[in-house]
Amino acid sequence: MILALETSCDDTCAAVVTDGGVIRSNVISSQGIHDRFGGVVPEIASRHHLELVNAVVDEALHKAEVTLDDVTLVAATQGPGLIGALLVGLVTAKSIASSRELPLAAVDHLHGHIAAVFLEPQPFEPPFVALIVSGGHTLLVDVTGPREFALLGQTLDDAGGEAFDKGARMLGLGYPGGAALERLAQDGDPNAFSFPTAKGVKGCDFSFAGVKTALLYAIRDLGEKEADRRRADLAASYQSAIVEALVQRAQRALDKTGRARLALGGGVAANGALRGRLEALAVDLGIPPRELCTDNAAMIASAARSVEPLAFPMYLDLDVYPTGAKGL
Amino acid sequence: MPALTVLGFDTATAATVAGLTFNGQSFERRDDPAVGARPGHATRLLSLIEDLFKDGGVGWKDIDRVAIGVGPGSFTGLRIGVATARALAQARGLPIAPVSTLRALAAGALEGISPIEGISLRPVAAIIDARRGEIFAGVWEGEATLLAPQAVAPDDFCQTLRQLGCEPTAVGDGAVRYRSMLEAAGALIAADEASEHRVSGPAICELGARGDLVSLDKVIPNYLRQPDAEISLKS
Repeated sequence: MILALETSCDDTCAAVVTDGGVIRSNVISSQGIHDRFGGVVPEIASRHHLELVNAVVDEALHKAEVTLDDVTLVAATQGPGLIGALLVGLVTAKSIASSRELPLAAVDHLHGHIAAVFLEPQPFEPPFVALIVSGGHTLLVDVTGPREFALLGQTLDDAGGEAFDKGARMLGLGYPGGAALERLAQDGDPNAFSFPTAKGVKGCDFSFAGVKTALLYAIRDLGEKEADRRRADLAASYQSAIVEALVQRAQRALDKTGRARLALGGGVAANGALRGRLEALAVDLGIPPRELCTDNAAMIASAARSVEPLAFPMYLDLDVYPTGAKGL
Repeated sequence: MPALTVLGFDTATAATVAGLTFNGQSFERRDDPAVGARPGHATRLLSLIEDLFKDGGVGWKDIDRVAIGVGPGSFTGLRIGVATARALAQARGLPIAPVSTLRALAAGALEGISPIEGISLRPVAAIIDARRGEIFAGVWEGEATLLAPQAVAPDDFCQTLRQLGCEPTAVGDGAVRYRSMLEAAGALIAADEASEHRVSGPAICELGARGDLVSLDKVIPNYLRQPDAEISLKS
């Protein structure tokens, strides 16, 4: 039985998953306190993780109807993510594991997003291409085994989910606004404005700085009143450009690898327009349920199944790593 | 009643400090990084605890309670210590006694004063450098708190000392950093390298042994400062 923790951003998560990949519990405590700051504040996220983490672990054990005596492996996200936030989860996991002389699996957050599709009851087996799009990450990976992957492309600037959130803010939709932008886009014309899809960025890499700037200029050029009147068109066209950019690169990745199977992960996997366009690619699609696409600890437990665990006390000096320092 | 076996630690300052009181004996393990070096809170604490267990010949089953320094001090450092204490308590079913890091610093300084000379003991001001031109400071006289822990500008703190007519022994890295200002206010400060300026593991244990036990979810750092984002939002 695996107890896993994930605290890389602003969700405090713990899960219990069997060695066979069956989810016994998957507790996610979304802090929901960063809205007024217009983005996640690392210090505030870290403070809340500390206050919530033990109760979240208790709840995960309780919901799984197990105790720590049943746990044979403790797992935690080691990085990438916010340092202070990651530390709360990793230090808690190390302390629980060491005081019970249990082994520990240190998991890469992005490996976790990929491994979400390995979970029961409908595991999506490799090989496949994985498109991970969240508020912090955007990447395409060729997955050939539980822990065998090759990075095909990644964002050169903002993450896809970040582009959604920043666009939503420009359109006065608050933070986090990705879902609100999608709702507003439903009433708009995706062809009303022509926003860029980073055509200049070749291969499977992404760039969302251009589309973001284009939206800013469009709003400025329309003027406040007209921009407000055409908010739905702006949202629909903006979303369409981001989705188009994602789908283009996914198609390139499939062509490059010769694969006909695509897994989707990360919070943006919830976006209906993206799902619709990917379905039109006519490939075998693996999209986990929403709660396994956004940050969660069940995916960390899933990844832990293929990570070489560190026996007690080999992990006592283990540290976290920040965004960009390591990972896939 | 036999003395409690207490495991105590503190990560509020650059040092990572762990102590064990067991059977009338005190043990300490510590990691004091070089000036400017990254603290080893996240990487060293659990190893120091394992070393202490070997020193004392004890195991988890022997521990009666966990004492934890809850600051004030470095936000990240505090969280590492408190997260460790909470998780150890959760995993081993142990009670936690939170201890003020400043109070522990003051207690460590009092230990160094001989009972005979100490008839007219000075109060002790424990001072941690809080950066940004501030200090975390508190003043104690024996068991009595003369000035509760606070984040304050050093010159304001000196002004308060003068108003109280208090000429304390001052300890901690903040006392070292603002030595001349504090000495001008009448404070007595040991040499920079003196051990009184460092948080002591056994002091955390001893205060924790007589401190109140707090339920795990109530053990939170005494930050004494709001996050910057909160401050700028309000202004």
